[in-house]
Amino acid sequence: MKLSFSNRVATILTLGAITSLSHAQNGLRGIPDTAVEAQLNAFKLIEGAKINLFASEPAVANPTHMNWDQRGRLWVVSSPLYPHIQPGQEEQDKIVILEDTNGDGVADKHTDFATNLHIPTAVLPGDGGVYVANSVEVLFLRDTDGDDVADERKVVLSGFGTEDTHHLLHTFRWGPEGMIWMNQSIYIHTHLETPYGVRRLLGGGMWHFRPETRRAEVFMKGLVNSWGHVFDEWGQSFMTDGAGGQGINYVFPRSVFLSSPGASRILPGLNPGQPKHCGVEALTGRHVPDTLRGALAAPDFRGSRINLFQLTDKGSAYTSTQIADLVSSTHGAFRPIDVKMGPDGAVYIADWYNPIIQHGEVDFRDPRRDHAHGRIWRITFDGKELVKAPDLVKASEADLIQHSNAPEGWTREAATVELRARQPEAVQAALESARAPAGVDPDLFALRKVWTSQALQRFDAAGAAALLSSSNHKARAAALRAIYYDAATNPEALSLAEKAIADPHPQVRLWGVSVLAQLSSPDTVKIALGALEGIELDEFLDFALWSICREHADRWTTAAQTGNPFANTTQLLFAVRALNQAVAVPQILSALGSGELPSDAQVTGVADWISKVGSAADLNALFEFALTEGAKPAHQTTILQALANAGSLRKLQPAGDTARLSRFLQSPDLATFTGAASLAGLWKLESAREGLRAAFLNAPTDEAKGRAALEGLIALGGPPTATMLDEIAKNAQSDYLLRSLAVIGRTKMDPNEGAKLAVAVLTEAPQGKDLHGIFDAFLANKQGPVALSNALSGATLPQAIALAGVQKASSAATKPEALVAALQKAGTIKPMKMALTPAEMEAMMKQVATLGDPHAGEVIYRRTALQCVVCHAIGGAGGVIGPDMVSIGASAPVDYLIESLLEPSKKIKEGYHTTLVTLKNGDSFAGAIAREDTNELVVRDAIGKENRIPKTEIASNQISPVSLMPPGLTAQLREDEFIHLVRFLSELGKDGDFKTPSNRFIRHWQTLMPHPSTRDRIGHYGSKIFTEAVSDYSWAPVYATVAGAVPVGELPEIEGRGKNRLGVARTFIEVKNAGPVKLRITGKLADLDLFHGETEIAMPDGAETEITLDVKEPGRQKLTFAGLKGSGIEGVTVEVLDDASRAELVELNNF
Amino acid sequence: MKSPSFITVLSGLLTFGGILSAQEPTAPLLQSGDRIVLVGNTLFERARLFGQIETTLQIATGPEVKGITLRNLGWSGDSVFGDSRSYFGPPSEGRDRLARNLGETNPSVVLISYGTEAAMSVDQGWTDDAAHAAATAAGIEASRDVFLAGYEALIELVRKSSGESLREIVLISPPPLENLGAPLPDQTENNRRLAIFRDGIRDLAKKNSLRFVDLFAQMGGDSFKGGVAKPALTEDGVHYSEAGHAIVARELAKGLGYSEGSLIDRNLPAYEELKAAVIEKDRFFFHRWRPANETYLFLFRKHEQGQNAKEIPMFDPLIVAEEKKIEEARTRVFAGMTRN
Repeated sequence: MKLSFSNRVATILTLGAITSLSHAQNGLRGIPDTAVEAQLNAFKLIEGAKINLFASEPAVANPTHMNWDQRGRLWVVSSPLYPHIQPGQEEQDKIVILEDTNGDGVADKHTDFATNLHIPTAVLPGDGGVYVANSVEVLFLRDTDGDDVADERKVVLSGFGTEDTHHLLHTFRWGPEGMIWMNQSIYIHTHLETPYGVRRLLGGGMWHFRPETRRAEVFMKGLVNSWGHVFDEWGQSFMTDGAGGQGINYVFPRSVFLSSPGASRILPGLNPGQPKHCGVEALTGRHVPDTLRGALAAPDFRGSRINLFQLTDKGSAYTSTQIADLVSSTHGAFRPIDVKMGPDGAVYIADWYNPIIQHGEVDFRDPRRDHAHGRIWRITFDGKELVKAPDLVKASEADLIQHSNAPEGWTREAATVELRARQPEAVQAALESARAPAGVDPDLFALRKVWTSQALQRFDAAGAAALLSSSNHKARAAALRAIYYDAATNPEALSLAEKAIADPHPQVRLWGVSVLAQLSSPDTVKIALGALEGIELDEFLDFALWSICREHADRWTTAAQTGNPFANTTQLLFAVRALNQAVAVPQILSALGSGELPSDAQVTGVADWISKVGSAADLNALFEFALTEGAKPAHQTTILQALANAGSLRKLQPAGDTARLSRFLQSPDLATFTGAASLAGLWKLESAREGLRAAFLNAPTDEAKGRAALEGLIALGGPPTATMLDEIAKNAQSDYLLRSLAVIGRTKMDPNEGAKLAVAVLTEAPQGKDLHGIFDAFLANKQGPVALSNALSGATLPQAIALAGVQKASSAATKPEALVAALQKAGTIKPMKMALTPAEMEAMMKQVATLGDPHAGEVIYRRTALQCVVCHAIGGAGGVIGPDMVSIGASAPVDYLIESLLEPSKKIKEGYHTTLVTLKNGDSFAGAIAREDTNELVVRDAIGKENRIPKTEIASNQISPVSLMPPGLTAQLREDEFIHLVRFLSELGKDGDFKTPSNRFIRHWQTLMPHPSTRDRIGHYGSKIFTEAVSDYSWAPVYATVAGAVPVGELPEIEGRGKNRLGVARTFIEVKNAGPVKLRITGKLADLDLFHGETEIAMPDGAETEITLDVKEPGRQKLTFAGLKGSGIEGVTVEVLDDASRAELVELNNF
Repeated sequence: MKSPSFITVLSGLLTFGGILSAQEPTAPLLQSGDRIVLVGNTLFERARLFGQIETTLQIATGPEVKGITLRNLGWSGDSVFGDSRSYFGPPSEGRDRLARNLGETNPSVVLISYGTEAAMSVDQGWTDDAAHAAATAAGIEASRDVFLAGYEALIELVRKSSGESLREIVLISPPPLENLGAPLPDQTENNRRLAIFRDGIRDLAKKNSLRFVDLFAQMGGDSFKGGVAKPALTEDGVHYSEAGHAIVARELAKGLGYSEGSLIDRNLPAYEELKAAVIEKDRFFFHRWRPANETYLFLFRKHEQGQNAKEIPMFDPLIVAEEKKIEEARTRVFAGMTRN
């Protein structure tokens, strides 16, 4: 018997009654064994690695950050006070110094340096003391009498926000140039009074701070929890994010990333869909195996493991490829939150040790939070000797300069910190006579001398300038970064930046633009735009240019009033589009007309920009360009769309004769027709009414065109539209689609009138489904829910359609409770019981643990009807509406998972709050704010659609307490199915079958939907027909399983020869250069046909094979497979064995 | 580090400042039962770590005036527009918050100090308030005018929000900046700007019939010639150290009508006890009015942790208990003075 989950609550209640456990113990059942042995037994290490305990409680409890001093002692801050001080509780969080005095790899001495801190989140020894992030302030603590206990406490900086204690100022690190780098996260708002003026950072970002000058400046903005930052050998910065999930992020001055408030543009990370990280360190030095040297180690604290990434150059930035995990653990309290190379060349890990990682989602006072344990682990490698750390404190200045060129990153950094403590004159003298140690790249040696000079406040500007002539682009880029900080007072900076702008390498250009952004010359933008010439522009360089065009707008806009201050029209178009203002419009329009801006991208660029900033006359010029004899159809479509945007967003139409639009209403092309229909309405072209009416009535044949026509008719409005829609909706003989559309249209015109029609139409909904979105139309209007609930008063609806309405209304950001009640009454639905009592929860958790089957759960998770995959990705495979589930099981307790499925609005992940924007006309949009600028706000809704909203039309804008996830999604499940689903989620990210492997499996696919022609044609041509560009093949998205496989059984059935039924899927990879690309294929190969482009690749028998694609034409490569269903072929995996610099995976939105 | 004795610091100040400018005699500000509220930026925010301002005032009033309490609403980097107080919203939300905090703290006397943040940032902009952001980056005159207009609106906000007990609002000019020598920047130009802002604040006080304390002049700002400060009273040229705060507190007390003679030798043990109780009370109050995790306790994620917001008022009895200690220590201080 199939029982819905809600029906089974009563059963669970009974079960709950017989269990004897109290609620308080309920949550505590999952607490892992706290013994060190239990953790040691649970580690899985990369080949050749060993792990040992360096230190643990009581010396260390809940460590939040660590750094080494020049003497090789490890300073650790820990916070049992986290997440929130209790009234009366002392501020007793600690800094402890851990020391391994006999070199056996275990700390044998620990000293409490300070015991009076309030949630300290960063520690950095140097300058004779230690810098500490202490909530609102940065402290400098010093020991003046040699007992290793702080007796002097000074505030160095104050004004950091504390709006969320897991976002506090954190991640301190010395830069190679002798500055302190520090980060803050999304909810923190910081206001510093520095000796150079007020500095504010509202939201996440990174600061650099020079203690001796007290200069603090913002370097980049954004990232959700920017908990990691590391420099590579050449001083480039890479950051990780504990909530953003894009792996390694390449950051540079003024770069802006995810979640920065008010950002109109953001940059992506280098590993979209990767786990979230806390900390990041570069593996350096002689003790590290050759294969791992240079890799970035990033702790995935949710998944209890440390990921490794390799970087390779790509344009002005990098590609980042995930390789094997350094270490992983099945112990649920192993929470690696920081990783640092040690003085002996080993890798040290701070383990916050806690079964609970959550801050907001789990009660501050949840008894499962650990406040007593903490571990520091040490990883060494077999067959590799440890490094003997030099005695830096006793070393001469000349020796320290040699040490600042050591192969070990630890030695280099500690030597630089020690040099800061020496007499600058002595260091400078030693620098002048220093020679590069054997085996050190002369450019690196020269760069390190420049860095040391900066660390001493005696910047060697000539040395930096000389490096700009290096043959190595990394040295040239690094030289510009060294120049960047004090560029404003460097007389050579402008000419050096100008040289960099013409550099053959895009990264050098990017840093040239960054230096220009620091300068006051009136020509900065003019010079910077030279970077557009002669190379392929990538997203990062594009961003830097976009940014300087805006920041220095007042330096070029006056000249652009009358002419072109730049070298050519392409540069001018770039600048005016970046600025997004009506500057140089006549020049651009004239260039468009004369064919100076011929490419599709340029025409789209002009049209989009004019639609946002142009006048009625400008729009007319654009319209006339589309009407020109011989205009390209693609350009016409683009321009109509732009004019429609101007009409709907800005209420602006071309100044000339608009009736010339009529020729586009004849277009067979859907996009052109849609643009024209919408314009006919916006421009109130009565002459177009008949044509639109005909297209609308034809909706049962061509729905897309019919809907477009309806929009035009609504905008045209008036009694004729109203009467027509009323008649269609009331006519029971009309097609159901037409009647639905008529209700939708009428609702958009007037919700009360629409509501009068709606009840009758909904009553006849086929199978009780709201196929065409009638409820959505009501929910999208402020007055809609009330209008519909009024109309439902006294009416009855079939239960199924009423239930569909309840589901949609319950996830609406406006919380239309009256409508939900009216629908429940009309459909005689009893309110679903969604919340569990503690006893029910207890019983449910027990069942998940004993009966849940995660493999069955994955199949349920992937069911189309459940829609999980539409919104949530696992390791980047899936939708982007909700949080990625990649390590949810390792981070969230089971009760949290159950509650989130039943009551999605109860706990909402940061960054996934719904914003409800209501317009002055009553329309409302709910979703996430995708981006915004001065004129418009872009809201991404629950189906991923981006809605552009003019800011002048916004009546209110508030964060809604309702999750975008509809409640009741799981109501269709049987109880056993629900339990399997929870078990699956609870396994995600834990060591085992459901930890997303780091292999480069192709996870984004499209599957072919059944098509009438395949049966006949396959007989003649075989599976090759699936590789052909058949225009009406329809492809639907499909994602690989956690294990990386495409389950052939799940794919739609395609009719093959005889009784053969096939599952067909295709994907793409991007290959930059011709040559071989290696793939590994698994599955039942005998029943698999695989194609590269249209070329079949022979499959051997067996279950696994490696193949080599022979790429002749670089660029996008199509892979298509057809698998025989029912033959025992369960899943097909395709893994790219080359790294990302050779072959990039393509995501579905770029197919 | 031990704080230098008052005498050492005072002699240092005399060397550094030359002469302290003459102050018009004014009636002492405080009455029994007064509730002082401090509104300002970093100067006041850090005052809570040193406790000198309140301790000095507690003594200056003499034993007859009793039951003085102080609530410090200083916030680093704040402007007259409420920038630092605004959290997720525009500065206007910071002003709303200040109004709420004033209502909750029920002041009889409000001491306001702004100006450093603006004078030091005149060419860069110092507020995100949309109506004024551009003007604050457009030179000294425009910046000062915006500052004074914002200041006047702030005075109005304090008047409206403070409740019926409000008796006096006092405008306090920022103290001068110091030159500490390279590599720290030279503050001569900023001190010149600060003097211009000070003049504006003085005129604003006069226009609104408010008390004005010219901390800038009293601490030698008008005779500043650009020399390197010896001994330094600031950590970085801007922010006063513990020793510097002792001077700030003393000059503030004098500006509020208390004579040199009403101040005491800070080496008395009871004085240290009084100061310790003041610092502890301020620590509790900080967790009360500016708790961490506000996003979860009170703002848009309160559906997740709002249940724990009940802990925040539990700081109130701790504050009251500390205030009892303050009153007791104060009594002992006066007893000690008598013994002297």
